[in-house]
Order: sequence, then C-alpha cells, then structure tokens
Amino acid sequence: MSTEAPGPAAPSDALLSVRDLSVVYEPAGADPTFAVENVSFDLRRGEFVGLVGESGSGKSTLGFALTRLSKPPARISHGRILFDGRDIASIDSEALREQRQGGFAMVLQSGMNALNPVRSIRNHFFDVFKAHGHVPHDRREQRARDLIGKVELPAATLDRFPGELSGGMRQRVSIALALSLEPQLMVFDEPTTALDVLVQHAVMNTIRDLQKSEGFTAVLISHDLGIVLEATERVLVMHEGVIVEDGPSSQILSNPSADYTRMLLSHYADPRAEIVSLPGFEDRSIRRDQGVSRSALASPEHAPTVVTRSISTAQESIVVKGVSKTYPPPRRGEQPVRAVRDVSFTLEPGQSLALVGQSGSGKSTIAKMITGVEKPSEGSISFGGLDVAKLRRGQLRDLHSNVQMVFQDPYAALNPLHTIEYTLMRPVVNFTGLKGDDARHRVRELLDTVGLTPVEQFAAKLPHELSGGQRQRVVIARALASDPQVIIADEPVSMLDVSLRAGVLALLEDLREKWGVSLLYITHDLLSARLITDNIMVLHDGAVVERGETAEVLQRPTDAYTVALLDAVPNPARAHGAT
Amino acid sequence: MTTTPLNPSAETVPVDDTLLAAPGPWQVITRVASTIWSNTKARIGVIILLLFVVVAIFAPLLAPYDPSATTFARSQDASAAHWLGTTAAGEDVLSQLIQGARISVFVGFVAGLLSTAIAVLIGLSWGYVKGWGADVINFVVNLFLVVPGLPLMIVIAAYLQNGGIGMIILVVVITGWAWGARVLRSQTQSLRGRDFVTAAVFSGERPARIVFREILPNMTSLIVGNFFGAATSAILAEAGLEFLGLGDPSTVSWGTMLFWAQNSNALLTGQWALLFAPGLCIALLATSLTLINFGVDGLSNPRLRESRKAAK
Repeated sequence: MSTEAPGPAAPSDALLSVRDLSVVYEPAGADPTFAVENVSFDLRRGEFVGLVGESGSGKSTLGFALTRLSKPPARISHGRILFDGRDIASIDSEALREQRQGGFAMVLQSGMNALNPVRSIRNHFFDVFKAHGHVPHDRREQRARDLIGKVELPAATLDRFPGELSGGMRQRVSIALALSLEPQLMVFDEPTTALDVLVQHAVMNTIRDLQKSEGFTAVLISHDLGIVLEATERVLVMHEGVIVEDGPSSQILSNPSADYTRMLLSHYADPRAEIVSLPGFEDRSIRRDQGVSRSALASPEHAPTVVTRSISTAQESIVVKGVSKTYPPPRRGEQPVRAVRDVSFTLEPGQSLALVGQSGSGKSTIAKMITGVEKPSEGSISFGGLDVAKLRRGQLRDLHSNVQMVFQDPYAALNPLHTIEYTLMRPVVNFTGLKGDDARHRVRELLDTVGLTPVEQFAAKLPHELSGGQRQRVVIARALASDPQVIIADEPVSMLDVSLRAGVLALLEDLREKWGVSLLYITHDLLSARLITDNIMVLHDGAVVERGETAEVLQRPTDAYTVALLDAVPNPARAHGAT
Repeated sequence: MTTTPLNPSAETVPVDDTLLAAPGPWQVITRVASTIWSNTKARIGVIILLLFVVVAIFAPLLAPYDPSATTFARSQDASAAHWLGTTAAGEDVLSQLIQGARISVFVGFVAGLLSTAIAVLIGLSWGYVKGWGADVINFVVNLFLVVPGLPLMIVIAAYLQNGGIGMIILVVVITGWAWGARVLRSQTQSLRGRDFVTAAVFSGERPARIVFREILPNMTSLIVGNFFGAATSAILAEAGLEFLGLGDPSTVSWGTMLFWAQNSNALLTGQWALLFAPGLCIALLATSLTLINFGVDGLSNPRLRESRKAAK
C-alpha cells in the first residue's frame, strides 16, 4: 500500500482504482472513528475479488464507499476512487444516478427484504427499465425473462409477489435486478449470510456462474474466508480498517503472508477428513486414544457402550421415544405442519450428541420439547424420573435445575439492564440455595470457569460493555450456575466471528469433560459438530435420516441429505484442489 | 485468542452491595431524569411544572390573604390590594389561584400514579399470562374502553354525591387506567418472546419476578410516558368535574373557581380574570406535562441516549 499522494500507476486494464481511501464515521457529539484507513487497490476488468474481514473490520464500509452509497455519519474523508478513469469520490448525486446504469451496482445481505411486497416481480423489473430508459418498451418483457433466467428462476416467477417467494429466490431476484442495469462492477455484500446453508451454497454457485458468463467485475464481501476463497480469484483481507493482505486466492491458501490471514485460515477444516483439528482442538480420535471416555448413541444400529467416567455429575439420561410435534396449519385449508416426526434417541450421562440439519428441520423444536417449553403431540420424553411432557409449573423448575440451555444469540439472551453479577446470581440463588457472600463467591467461580477474568471487573459490567464472545461465555456461565446434568446448546457459535468460535467451542468441550455434563449440540455447522461431539443425528423435515458416531457419519455419509450438508460447508482447500 | 482483552478502564470497579441490586430504582430514576432534562421542550415543561409544585407546596406562605375569607368588597376589579380582583362572594382571586394549585397538582400526581400503577399491574400480568385468564382481563379492559369516559365520570361522580377530592381521584382512576393497560400489555407480549425472558425461566425465576424485574425495567419510558399522560387527563378531568359542579363546591380549586365564575356571570360583569386565570393555569400545567412527554420519547430512542452519553 502506498502512502504517496499520486500512488502507483493503475494497470492499463483497471476498471476501478482506489487510492488512499479513508472513510470516517462522525456521529454527533462523539469522537470520529476511521473505519477505513488509507486503502489502495486496483480491480481489473472481469476480475472476481473477495473482500474478507471479521465484524468491525470496515469491509462493508469500504463496499458502500466504492458504490458511493455511504450515508452520514459515514463520510469519505480522503482519497480517490477512479471508476473507468473518472473520480467518483466527488461527483454529484445526479451524475451518480446515471452512473448506476452500465456502471456499478450493489447486492445487499438484506436485499431480499428490499422488494416491495405489493408489486409483482415483473413490475420491479419494469420500474428499473423505466427509471433508466435503457430498454425499449416492446422488449421489456423479453428482457425481464432473460434476466430471471440468468439467475436460474422460471419465467413464471415474474407473475409472483415477493411474499410468495422463498428467501433464496428473493435474493436471486435482487441479483437479477442489479444485473438489469448491465453493470460493469457488482458489489455483493454478504449476499448469502441471511440464507439457509443449502440455499446459501446454491446462490453462491449462481453468482459464480453469472460472473463467468456475464464477465462483469465483481467484489464479494464476506466474513467467511471459506466462501470467498471458494468463489474468487483474488482476495483482499481487511483487519481494523486496513488491507493486511492482497493476493491470488491460491497463494493466500497455500502461503498466506499476514498473521491475521493465517489465523483466519487456521479456523477452517474439512469435517470429512480423517483427522480434524483447529487451534485449541486436537482431533477427537487422538484424545480418545489418550483415554478420554465416550459413549455411543443408543440406537438399534449402535449398541450403547458403558460410560466409565470417574468424575461425573451427570447420572440421568434423557430418553426421547417416538416423539412427534404437529403445529396447526398456518392458514386455513393448508396441511398441518409436522415439525418433528417420530424421533427417538437417548442422551446418556456425559455423552455429547449433535443434532444437525438446516433451518426448519425440527432441531430447535426438539430442544424446546426436551426443556418443557413445548409439549410433544405424540411420544414421550423422560429425564430420570420426570416425564417432561406432563410437567406442571413447579416441576418445570426441577427440570431446569438439571437441564440448562445455551442460546443462539448472545445479544438477545442477556437482559441489557442487569449487571453480569445479577444475571448469574439469580440461578445460583434459585437453584443452589446459596445466599449472600456464598452466592457471590459462587458467581466469581463461574466467571473464572468460563475464562472471564478478572472476575471482579466482569461481575460489575453490563452486557453492552462486552463483546459477542464474552457475552456467550456469560450465557454459558449462567447455564452452569445450577450445576446441571445436561446442557442444550442451540447454535451457540453461529452469531460469533470465526476467530471467537473455537474459543467458545473449546470451553463447551472442556466443561463437558471436567464437569461431566451431557451435551446436546444443535447446529447446522458440521465442522463444529465434528469437533465437540461423539455422536450425531441428522434431521431432515423433522425425521432422523442418519445417526451414528460423528466421525464415522461425516467421513462415510450414507444419506443424500447428509452429503448435501457436507458439500455446503465452505472449504477453501477443496475449491483450489489443494489439501 | 479465547478472550479479547478488556478495555483498560482507569477506574477499578468496586463490587459492593449497591451493585448487586443493579439497576436499582435510584439509578433508573437518575437515568430517566437526565434523559428528560437533555431535551429542550421537556426542560421547559419541567421548569413550568416545578414552578407549580413550588407554588402548591408553599401556598399558605405565598397567598396574600386567606383564600376562603369572604370579608372583602365583592366583584372588584384588579387593584394593588387584590392583583386579580375579588369574586362575587368577596374572596381574593390570587389567593384562591395559589391555593387551587395544591388541588390540581395533588390530584394530577395521585390519580396519575394510581392509574399508572393499576395499568402496570394489569397490563404486565395480562401480557405475561396465557389462556383463559388473559381472556377474562381482555373482557374487563374492553368494557372500560368502550364506555365513553366523560358520561361515565359524571354518572359515578353524581352517584357518589360531593365526596370531595378523594371521590374525584377515584373517578379519574376508574376511568383512566384501561388504555395504559392495553399499551403496556402489547409491549409485554413483545418482550416476553425475547431470549432473556426465556433465559430467566431457565434460571428458575418465578413469573412475578420475571414480569417485574426482567420485563418491567425494559419499559421504563412507556410507563413514565403513561404516567404523565394519565396525570394530564386527571388534571383536566378534575377541573371539568368541578366546573360542572360535581365536586365539593366549598373546596378552593381551579375547577370550583371556574364553577363560581360561571355562576356569577363573571364575563358579563367584565371580570375576565376570574375565568382566564384558572383556565390558563390548568392549560399551562397540562402543557408542561405534555412537554415532558417529549423528553420521555427520548428514553426509548437509543440514538438520543447515545449522544447524551457522548456529550458527558
């Protein structure tokens, strides 16, 4: 990166050259913060470039600046953006609007929610054609059909309204709308993050194919280095507003130069591999050989092995027998929704079991039924002597002293007005009967257990003063406060940055071994399931399609759905043919 | 990598007993007050309100004469001795006006507090319970909402026959709590679906504690806003009922002043101050509370709160 004013000369075929670009946030009454600092790079025509960074790295701010969509309090404070030889950092808004046709377009993460719900998809296209007048009246219908075909949707989609389409289809429509202006530069800002795993994979493939066939220059902004390395030729890695690495994807994969890139890369692995390890994790098979006991899933195919654990607080197992859950039909005349169909399993004391599937597969419904939040329509669930399906309110409290939950979103799971100490104090007081100084001491112990030290400082903090990873640790500490036998973790790391995930996972794994709690781990992420669970159950449309030992199932999947889930795991190594 | 380093905060955080109860009611009140004060409109409202409160508290000291003394010349115009003149019964208008502030401020606060308290109790439990209990409350609240307020007030007040201030407060509270309860219920329903409420259930909290320690503090702005709204309508209703002669005509309040001024045809005799002064006071007091509610809006608007924090 150059700090010279003119900067290095742009290559002759550069479509976009950015020189010393800085973007500053100037909120009223607060100190300005630089989200992007002195960034310089070039994009060649037809290039597909990835822009990667964790939350807060300034990647989206940069993307918005490139397409001149920055809104106050963000402001381009310094530098030039040359698009096709013209400095767009300083042109007025009308010239900018004209530029949007044949110039640059942006597809947003929430783009699928930006469609007007009362206008058909066809009208959305016609509105764009009308605003820019670049398509003759008689050719509009044909052009709309072409575009919708390009994103692999049937022409009949044009008659639909946004509410009738799925999230993936709507995101495809918004890509087609961006394409309708024949942009030379497309910026995709987390285009698939809000979508379901399998859909995510399919939409990414469409984007990649489109870029090849249409030949536009594309920037893919994502927090997920795996997705970016799979799709793009060149990658810019951003960290704290600065581009720390800029190089071809294959080189970044094989020989990353920046420490930050190396750290990001180390958090990817193929869940299908013989040996899977991440920073802080050795492969389970290695740990197993070192004498860590485990148990197997109690199912007809896999005879349960006896747990031989010396220190174990878990004594009761959760037995789920033939459980189904049917919700009433969402609209009159429709079929009732069968969220869970005839699921049976046993969670033995001290065991870790992964429940895997895409959204809508019924995995969270199972968690709700086990914790007594929902009642099963058929079948029975028991924990020790308790029949979970028939609990009254007082007994629910007994159940919760033994079965605790770790929530998906650490930002929503903590009351913003209570200090960490208060939040942890409540379950301690309610379940353990400790009072006053004893309870306070226990809270300190819990904070220490989850690695939030110095404990005195953390105890006095409010949730908004903590990072996402720290909050999730508080949520885990709260789950441990009642000294439970079972912890149900519902996607505990899906809201966290990649580099924080391993830490939280390692904590869960550690707790399971040291405290001897059983773990029901609910996720769509097969890699994390491979790391911290012994056994796995794959759910599809509410039914179990595959079960067994985690390593065995993921290395040699037998069901087509499991294979599809495995293929959807972003894996930079696979994309570039390296291992 | 497992823990990101803490912000190096200069102050060492002492963990004492006061933090255990956090956020204590005192902290909540300070936060509410400073947010309201940061809004210009609300600041004007607070100043007007404080003025009335001070006048109400020190009324016996501020009033130049005994407000119920009838020893002066009747129906006099404003003069150096009687700044606002005297009534048809020979009372000093200014003294009555100052004394009247007591009743209005008192009724406003007590009736506002009581109807807010009822609205909070019913609204929050209504929002938290499911099943037939909610249906029963729904029926009762709807009953109070569909019955027109003013006629109901007049009927109840006429039935209770000159019960004085206590009766008026009762009438205002009975007719005033239902709307607040409905607003608070819908907010409770949206908050009860949040993860932190579910988490509180998992922490073994009892329903009452979940409602009042987890959910209630998150609706401070709504409750404060509801209080000022209820106080405003209580002041207006009190003046209205007394003007109609449904209160105790022997008490000295702005409402009864208007009642007697109307009875003695003050406007026809050119004594405009008799009607104008209490009318303006009622309007000003109600306006001050409405202005404060502008600042209460800022409580629920995080953007305003952020800029306040940054300005510190």
